[in-house]
Amino acid sequence: MRRFTALLLGICLATTTAIGGGYQVSLHSMRNIGMGLIGTSLTYDASSYFYNPGAAAFVKDKFSFSGGVSLLMARTTFQPKDVMGQYHIESIINTPLYFYFGFKPFEDLSIGLAVNTPYGNKLSWGDEWQGRYLIQDLAFKAITIQPSFSYKIKDVFSFGMGLVIAMGNVELNKAIPIEGQNGVDAKTNIKGKATNVGFNGGILIRPVKGLNIGVDFRSKINMKVEDADATFTVPASMSGNFPDQKVSTSLPLPANLDFGLSYEFNEKFLIGINLCYVFWGAYDTLTFDFKTKTAALDVTHAPAMYENKLIPRIGAQYKISDIVTVRLGGYYDPSPVPDGFLNPQTPSMNQIGLTAGLSVYPFKGFSIDAAFLYVMGMEREGTYSPENFSGTYKSQIYIPGIGLSYSF
Amino acid sequence: MKKLLYILFSFVILAGCEPKIDELSPNRGSADFSRYVSVGNSLVAGYADGALYYSAQKNSFPALLAGQFQMAGGGAFVQPVVNSEFGVEFPGSMPRLKLGYSTSCTGVTSLGPVPDFGPRDQPTPVGYQVNNLGIPGAKSFHLLVKGYALLNPYYGRFATDPNNMVIQEIPPLNPTFFSLWLGNNDVLGYATSGGVGDTITGLKTFGDAMGAVVGSCVGTGTKGVIANIPEITSIPFFNTIPYNGLNLQTQEIVDQVNFAMGLFGLPFTYHLGQNPFLVADPTSPHPLFKVRQMQPGELVLLTVPRDSMQCYGMGIISSLTLTPWPIPNQFVLTQDEITNIETAIAGYNTVIAGLAQTHGLALVDMNTKLKNLKSGILWDGIRMNTSFVTGGAFSLDGVHLTQRGYAVVANYFIESINAEFGSTIPMVDITKYPGVLFP
Repeated sequence: MRRFTALLLGICLATTTAIGGGYQVSLHSMRNIGMGLIGTSLTYDASSYFYNPGAAAFVKDKFSFSGGVSLLMARTTFQPKDVMGQYHIESIINTPLYFYFGFKPFEDLSIGLAVNTPYGNKLSWGDEWQGRYLIQDLAFKAITIQPSFSYKIKDVFSFGMGLVIAMGNVELNKAIPIEGQNGVDAKTNIKGKATNVGFNGGILIRPVKGLNIGVDFRSKINMKVEDADATFTVPASMSGNFPDQKVSTSLPLPANLDFGLSYEFNEKFLIGINLCYVFWGAYDTLTFDFKTKTAALDVTHAPAMYENKLIPRIGAQYKISDIVTVRLGGYYDPSPVPDGFLNPQTPSMNQIGLTAGLSVYPFKGFSIDAAFLYVMGMEREGTYSPENFSGTYKSQIYIPGIGLSYSF
Repeated sequence: MKKLLYILFSFVILAGCEPKIDELSPNRGSADFSRYVSVGNSLVAGYADGALYYSAQKNSFPALLAGQFQMAGGGAFVQPVVNSEFGVEFPGSMPRLKLGYSTSCTGVTSLGPVPDFGPRDQPTPVGYQVNNLGIPGAKSFHLLVKGYALLNPYYGRFATDPNNMVIQEIPPLNPTFFSLWLGNNDVLGYATSGGVGDTITGLKTFGDAMGAVVGSCVGTGTKGVIANIPEITSIPFFNTIPYNGLNLQTQEIVDQVNFAMGLFGLPFTYHLGQNPFLVADPTSPHPLFKVRQMQPGELVLLTVPRDSMQCYGMGIISSLTLTPWPIPNQFVLTQDEITNIETAIAGYNTVIAGLAQTHGLALVDMNTKLKNLKSGILWDGIRMNTSFVTGGAFSLDGVHLTQRGYAVVANYFIESINAEFGSTIPMVDITKYPGVLFP
């Protein structure tokens, strides 16, 4: 059976990884993934430090640890407009990780740390495809480390705040429409790193027992890459126009304003909703500023024109016994990319996500958490008009994941 | 439990196979592409870089069209294959051009078209019937000349009978669909000889010839596509050397030139930087020097002897005789000549539009398409324009297209065909075809 599975893995899997309308990755805790990715009003464990630092003070235990990994398997199909043949994104499997730790030195105060990867995008269209002058492959990942505190006033209100340190790296390859006498395209590779800081702050209100209302704001972080390396593979006669050099660029990690509401009907059953407003409008243009300007290299502007979007999410959990808890959820994540700017660098579609989750408690305080997320990227026809590149995209993403939580 | 997990996992993976998007379903509409014949000149043959050679011919626009037609019931498409990558050799033929380095008389080494010498095919008959009747050098009325195979070795390569007229080749092929792009040479020969070495085909001759060619193609109602004639004065051959390309770099030189012109009694003044070249002008009132300065809008041909201009004063004052040395008229299109060309093309295009109308043919407006190219076009991240070498659409002879340029032409034909006949022939992926190749 194991072999069969491995075989299937080899045959069928391929991926992109941005799961989210743009390049936001929302895989931050198995318990939350199981419930439609909601979290702003939940107080399960130290994962609250990411979802809403305001909620962390409501976590009951003195110590809380949580960590896990998702296996992100995505596949995107592209049908170029009016041209025969289809392309499939080649296989790359991505494994976003998370780790949270919370500690309550006093009953009303909690301090903690959140480490995860809230933004990323990784895809490979291959070197020979029709859109190779826009993108061949791209890997972008931002890891955030967030030291935080949370303070509770009575059992009705708490607030919290964290400093978000984001460290990102990016690498992309694309072809240049200049052919050598061997017929091979010129190529560019850009590789860089960036670090910047932002904040994450939120509040939680518990007006009556069982009802949680949370609001959280994560600030925009501008990932400014000052000295990325740009390398060019071009025909010798063109090398003067394409010297290897430094290039600067920046990519915004957009701000998020999340509102969450959840209600515990009884000891066993909880239901919650989240409204997540993502300030995608921050991603207006991707600019590359080449340090050594030539006839071919200057400041290039690639319009992105992203638009702010609201993501509604819903989730529920049911405690079957002291040992087993199950969860279900779903959400709708509208694409922030307007028509006319649909770029194969980030093939963005409206997405519907369906989730299921399971926690098993072998002993008190310790759980093995599993979740499964299915994301359907709805078929979308569009053009990236700045490069006149058109076609239809569709994607499916399967994300099983497993994590461990321990609180005492 | 473990087994259950594996089963679950396998299911997930299977379901993870690629998302389905409906594939294109090419449809022939009211056209029948089973026997496609293309008729025309060098642009139809796949001529590029000053030669008809293997790889460019293989991707001639009719060959690309035929490849797309095959997705909707099209049949085999045979070309008179040139096996050499260097072209066909016959008296008067030139070798293929490639991009390479050459050193000018000023000692400057630069990148530009240079001859690419290699073994060429002999113009011997290929010995089989072909679908691509594209004949480099052919004018409209040449297709009605008996024994044209003896005059044009490109036709000689595939003529089924050396005494044939080209149009006699068409009915035996029994085409169900044809493309016709002919008539460029009827005005191009005049233009590339600076308006002195060739004549423009008269409108009546052109009309009669085109009528006869179309007649032999349509037979009893065969459908087809016809393209009109672009403004050939927009091509790089006429637009690479500017009329005011005379660059005077120091005031000392400017003063000397102005002094000399005064001495010769020529009323031309020069200044620092760009100045118009002198061109031969037989109507000049000057008793000795029949010259004038070029005017904005006039064109210098790519074939102008550049060493003479750069090192020996052609276009200004000869460094040998120290007298005014105009560019000979054969290397220049004057405003009158340009007007003649434009008038002829406008007339030709009226004829072509009329033929399309009469016979229900799809019409490709290449005239407008070249205008679009002039201001720049964009496909799949590739920018193209009419600039020489860097524009990507025109090959190194400045007249014919690159394979990428021909692929774009194929798409223009497909657009018109689909619009006229309700077909859904897919477009060509132009990124598969190279532009100018750089060393």
